[in-house]
Amino acid sequence: MESNTFDAIVVGTGMSGGWAAKELTEKGLKTLVLDRGRMVKHGDYPTATTDPWDLPHGNRITQETRHRKPVQTRSVYPTPANTHWFVDDLDNPYSEVNRFDWIRGYHVGGRSLMWARQSYRFSPMDFEANAKEGIGVPWPVSYDEMAPWYDYVETFAGISGAADGMPTLPDGKFLPPMELNCVELDFQKRIADKLSRKLIIGRVANLTAPLTHQESPQRAPCQYRNLCIRGCPYGAYFSSVSATLPSAERTGNMTLLANKIVYELIHDNDKGKATGVRVLDAETGAQTDYFAKVIFLCASTLGSAFIMLNSTSSRFPNGFGNDSGELGHNLVDHLKAAGVNATVEGYTDVAYTGRRANGFYIPRYRNIGKDKRSYLRGFGYQGRASRQGFGRFNDNAFIGAELKQAMKEPGPWTLNASSFGEILPNHLNHVTIDRSRKDKYGLPVLKFDTLLRENELAMQKEMVSDAVEMFEAAGYKDISIGENNYAMGLSIHEAGAARMGKDPKTSVLNKFNQVHACKNVYVTDGSFMASSACQNPSLTYMAFTARAADHAVAELKRGNL
Amino acid sequence: MSEDLDPGMSQRRELLRRAAWLLGGAISAPAALAFLQGCSRKDAGADVQASGVLSAPEMDTIAAIADIMIPKTDTSGALDADVPQFIDKALGALYPESEQQRFKAGIAEFGTPTVDSVKQAIAAALTADLDPKPFILMMRELTLLGYFSSRVGITENMEYVPVPTAFHGCVPLSQMGKHVYWE
Repeated sequence: MESNTFDAIVVGTGMSGGWAAKELTEKGLKTLVLDRGRMVKHGDYPTATTDPWDLPHGNRITQETRHRKPVQTRSVYPTPANTHWFVDDLDNPYSEVNRFDWIRGYHVGGRSLMWARQSYRFSPMDFEANAKEGIGVPWPVSYDEMAPWYDYVETFAGISGAADGMPTLPDGKFLPPMELNCVELDFQKRIADKLSRKLIIGRVANLTAPLTHQESPQRAPCQYRNLCIRGCPYGAYFSSVSATLPSAERTGNMTLLANKIVYELIHDNDKGKATGVRVLDAETGAQTDYFAKVIFLCASTLGSAFIMLNSTSSRFPNGFGNDSGELGHNLVDHLKAAGVNATVEGYTDVAYTGRRANGFYIPRYRNIGKDKRSYLRGFGYQGRASRQGFGRFNDNAFIGAELKQAMKEPGPWTLNASSFGEILPNHLNHVTIDRSRKDKYGLPVLKFDTLLRENELAMQKEMVSDAVEMFEAAGYKDISIGENNYAMGLSIHEAGAARMGKDPKTSVLNKFNQVHACKNVYVTDGSFMASSACQNPSLTYMAFTARAADHAVAELKRGNL
Repeated sequence: MSEDLDPGMSQRRELLRRAAWLLGGAISAPAALAFLQGCSRKDAGADVQASGVLSAPEMDTIAAIADIMIPKTDTSGALDADVPQFIDKALGALYPESEQQRFKAGIAEFGTPTVDSVKQAIAAALTADLDPKPFILMMRELTLLGYFSSRVGITENMEYVPVPTAFHGCVPLSQMGKHVYWE
């Protein structure tokens, strides 16, 4: 028992778990960090430097992968170069009342290894929207309270971006911005002139210059290979594996164990506290209990929802901390619509060198100021201009010497844009536990029941028509609309299943990410999100996690936990 | 050649170590080696042998078509890049059985490939907009994929820079020599 007892336990090592581990250990807590998947240390990136000709089958997704990973291959990512980062769906099933795409990886570092690294602050508008519009519950936190924590995590992580001066997308502590290419600069000017839309370079967690601190000597600037998803041997993008876990390791206060599946929180009804976690060893099946004064659930939105829903007791018959009945509910993602593509005439004598791991961003402009739509909230576009590669030869009749000659020239410029929109929190969109099915480990599975609703469907139409309008305004002729294959989850931004709020009757967590009904449990992955805005969420998870860890250590010292 | 000068060997050994780790250490070394060898192709030589789902006569036909589509000129052609072998393996790995059979039927119907017959088949297929995709377009897609994922296809037609170190958004082509590989 003694050896199983720590000051703190962190469940999960993805974006939020890495931050919890770093902050708690740096503040002196002996911390047990558990991940359900295999160990990954910085540098354990088996395909990071593999040349294209050493990847099988032109790096296309194989039938074998489709067979083992029917859910993961609803996304485009599990190619031979990346498939080892994505779970085996046959071993890790779940139930769907309606289609929900749960795309994930079980390994140390979690999705912080595969993320798209786009890093945007939420704005005052985003934190105020629920209260103003009477949607969901009001955020119990203001932008001003969060701003210093955004500063803190941006500085450590290293976020590249430009100061754009937009109140609806606050600037941060940035490393130098990456460049827009010539066609993107031209597009930027055209849509500013014609539609007063603002296009900026993406803000991305890749180092464009040395970090401004000395805490991560293992990290070097971006080499512009654009192979980030495979893991970066240079440590040039932020992940738990490249950044936060090495910092936690250096304190000497971290015990990191892989292959440990946390499936239940242990609650002491007399003390009114959680005392520890129940763990199943993924390799041996052995069951072990670990104990601590404070527990951070950072197992991902749905991972934490599962653990809490699966932790029933006489005090919490409907799931841990679920006095409100909101646990597992209000699940959101980011809405996608069909991408829009255009061929751009001209600029034939220029191109770019290097492979930029970033694109442009057109921040939300709908329902801001005087603009009023039939739907609430809005969306932003991410995209890029590029010169076409060999794929273009599939559309013409060139063969032989003519084709060989054409290969030596870059293709015409194309520009694409796709969007992330806000999905409104709705009690009806939820997960429960399906005890009729078991996974490989004998544990019950999650059951998803979510749908896009009126607001989303109205917004989705305009996400396409606005892109077409922008491309037309820019004078582009050959405009094509891609397929819309979106179902909830596919943006891999799931959030909200244990929302925070002021009132314990309507929310699961308080403003410091503590479970209202059990103050020594903090939940700091995407579960806490009372709404998701339309920006990529990871930076916000980082900021809330760092803040929650600071709060937890102070509360421990005050004897309040 | 000393081992130090052969980056392939040490890299492969490192990959092997990592692959074993990746597969939970459960894989035997010879099996892992076979797996890795299966991942890479020779760079030259048109030793057309069936090793996947196609028969030797079928391989002859697709080799002839691939050679017509991407002949050797001042840069290597499809046969130098082992495109027929690529197609044979890719067909088995990437396509369901029904698509493989459709492809084989397409080969049987094609007859003896000539420059004219390949040209005409592509032109006819492009105007028809058929679903499922006609054999000749599937064949061309695989030929292009195989060629542009081969070392010679990439490095002889484009400037392949594994570690660019910088991004410049607006560079005159006249300053670039061969245009760069971006995929």
